[in-house]
Amino acid sequence: MTEHRSFRRSFSSLAEIFAFTADFFARHGVDAGLLPTVDFTLEELFTNMVKYSPAGDVHVRIDMATAPGGVEVALTDYDVERFDVTQAPDANINLPLEQCRPGGLGLHLIRRLVDSMDYEYSSDERRSRITFRKTTAGRRDPGTVAAAGGGNARD
Amino acid sequence: MLAIDYGADGTVVIAGRLDAAQSPVAQSFLDRVDGIVTLDCADLEYVSSAGLGVLLKTQKRLQASSGKLRLVSVNRHLRDIFQYSGFDQIFEIEPAR
Repeated sequence: MTEHRSFRRSFSSLAEIFAFTADFFARHGVDAGLLPTVDFTLEELFTNMVKYSPAGDVHVRIDMATAPGGVEVALTDYDVERFDVTQAPDANINLPLEQCRPGGLGLHLIRRLVDSMDYEYSSDERRSRITFRKTTAGRRDPGTVAAAGGGNARD
Repeated sequence: MLAIDYGADGTVVIAGRLDAAQSPVAQSFLDRVDGIVTLDCADLEYVSSAGLGVLLKTQKRLQASSGKLRLVSVNRHLRDIFQYSGFDQIFEIEPAR
């Protein structure tokens, strides 16, 4: 079962996006324990699209589908440059407080929270599509994930 | 939506969703606190990286003047986020019971 909606490129669309995910989870009986991670990942990816894509009036499309034990979600953005979120470097989370900065944490976190994430780009259409999956089987213990160094150009 | 205000015992109580749209509300309030501040997160359902930025900025400012931000009654989802982001090394965090 797949459903989709399009959202205006604005932080104020977040409330509508969260309402869409909550409604989808409730109607399709998806484990509510997955919802915070799905919302978190959607917010990070959507706000990145809002901040870094110049096309002001083009809406972002979100597709949600049920998957065994969870959901698969896709965000499609139009008239944008290529930026592969799966290849962005990790944030350095081991810096002392005075050197810490919030930028870069978003992508660092979502790559650890979801089961999988894929990126597709169509040069002809200048279309970017990010697909991620979150299931109960894919839950991981944060303590088992090693911290990595580096810095990010985006959140 | 997000609500943030002082509780009866002097702690700061935050409730709702600390996302990119609501972060300015939280930042505006936390810019006015001083000293050692306890943030009661019992009813904080959700935090995004924008919200983490608010907490980080506040912690930096408070620690520069010998204060700090303590996070109490933190739920499992938030603890995961804090741990993945390294915030468990920056903040004193007390889990929800």
